[in-house]
Amino acid sequence: MSARRLILMGASMVAAILALGPRAALAQHAEKQASSSATSSASAGSGGSVMNDEDLRIEGEKRFHTNCGRCHQSPHKLPPRMILTIERHMRVRGMLTQEDMRAVVAFLTQ
Amino acid sequence: MRSVPLSVARRGCLPWIVGLLVLWIATLAHAQMQGQNDPNPPDVILPEMSAVPVFSAGVAMVNAWQGGQPNLHPLVSPVGLIPIGQNWLIEGRGTFESILIPDPSGPGWKGYLQKEDDYFQLDYIANRYVTVSVGRYITPFGIFNERLYPVWIRNLQSDPLILPISTGPSGAGTGAMARGGFNLTPKVELNYATYFSTEVTTSPFDSDRNWGFRTGIFLPGPRLEVGGSFQHLLQDDHSNAFGFHFAWQPTALPLDIRAEYARSSNGSGYWVESAYRLSQVPVWRNEFRHVQVVGRMQQFYVGKVASDSLSSVNTNLCEFGLNYYFRDDIRFVSSYGRQFAPEGGNQNIWTVGVTYRLALPIGHGDFR
Repeated sequence: MSARRLILMGASMVAAILALGPRAALAQHAEKQASSSATSSASAGSGGSVMNDEDLRIEGEKRFHTNCGRCHQSPHKLPPRMILTIERHMRVRGMLTQEDMRAVVAFLTQ
Repeated sequence: MRSVPLSVARRGCLPWIVGLLVLWIATLAHAQMQGQNDPNPPDVILPEMSAVPVFSAGVAMVNAWQGGQPNLHPLVSPVGLIPIGQNWLIEGRGTFESILIPDPSGPGWKGYLQKEDDYFQLDYIANRYVTVSVGRYITPFGIFNERLYPVWIRNLQSDPLILPISTGPSGAGTGAMARGGFNLTPKVELNYATYFSTEVTTSPFDSDRNWGFRTGIFLPGPRLEVGGSFQHLLQDDHSNAFGFHFAWQPTALPLDIRAEYARSSNGSGYWVESAYRLSQVPVWRNEFRHVQVVGRMQQFYVGKVASDSLSSVNTNLCEFGLNYYFRDDIRFVSSYGRQFAPEGGNQNIWTVGVTYRLALPIGHGDFR
């Protein structure tokens, strides 16, 4: 690879990260706010959109079989602290949607 | 240092500029949507815990007899995953393997160790639509190379004949990639990957200079996916390649049907694979639920430009496999295949082996 190409590649990556980073941070901030308000409403007993444990287990298991089960066998018992890393890896590798990933993580860490 | 003419440099910039522009517009539009109304509010509260680095490895020992010639194929493929913060991940996979053949000068086997860097990339999950990866990545052309290649996932241990089409000299690219998967509607998911790779000639990091994309539609209800791939080579004959893939796992049956078609100037062909887990057999359920039968049919046709990594003659191959899962991470694999090719290329291919996958956390992590 020539030096010019390396510089071009590096500059492009920096530009991409700069373009994406602040917007993603804003989006996550908004998401966290929505999440915390959902938690508040659940703890207040209003129900809201938060699933209970049984619904979550059923939904997570369904999404596990729909997505992960396409290449993997039955749910593998792994320590919960590994699940987040593996699901992040599979979100990239298997192109899981954010909703699928969250439900599967919740199911596997229950 | 090799100098690059300005016209070539400009041509090389084009995919980058277009890709970055698309990314920028997509994230801009998304940020605006987030500000107005989030179409998919989170309804799952996750336990707060820190992700820990993970070490994983696929291990296989496969014996093969090809046309009566035996060989041993030990393989170890370590994977490292290092999460950083909430949105970053460093991941890499290497392969150490050897093909041992009987030593003609005496007892024993001889061979040499092959080392490959399958991928080593930095991922940034920017938002629900876009993940950016830089570094060395598995070329996302078709479904086998990226999703089904690991020895502990594939149903048959032999590679499809068309695998080298458009996956480059090592199955990987060096550069950048944007990818993601998201819901178009509650019943339809779209996934995509678009990439640019530069030429690297240093083994084991070699890659071609190209750009391309893959996209697919997945229907979660019937568990059906169809998609296509395109790649434009930015070196040698500047040829185009394209492919289609199909995968279906019906919900009512433990059946797995996959197919791929690929075409380039080096050749064209397809494979169709079906795998059935005998968990619904009404007798000896405890035994049969561990058993999987597999069948695969493939055809390859030589193209205009010869390639070292592809068959030099038109080839047909039928394979049948029988796998036994002791657990989900360790299994016995076996297969028989019959290859049909001109000029004495007809031969039987037998494989017998064991595959194993391990995964270990590195460090403890802690709940926050």
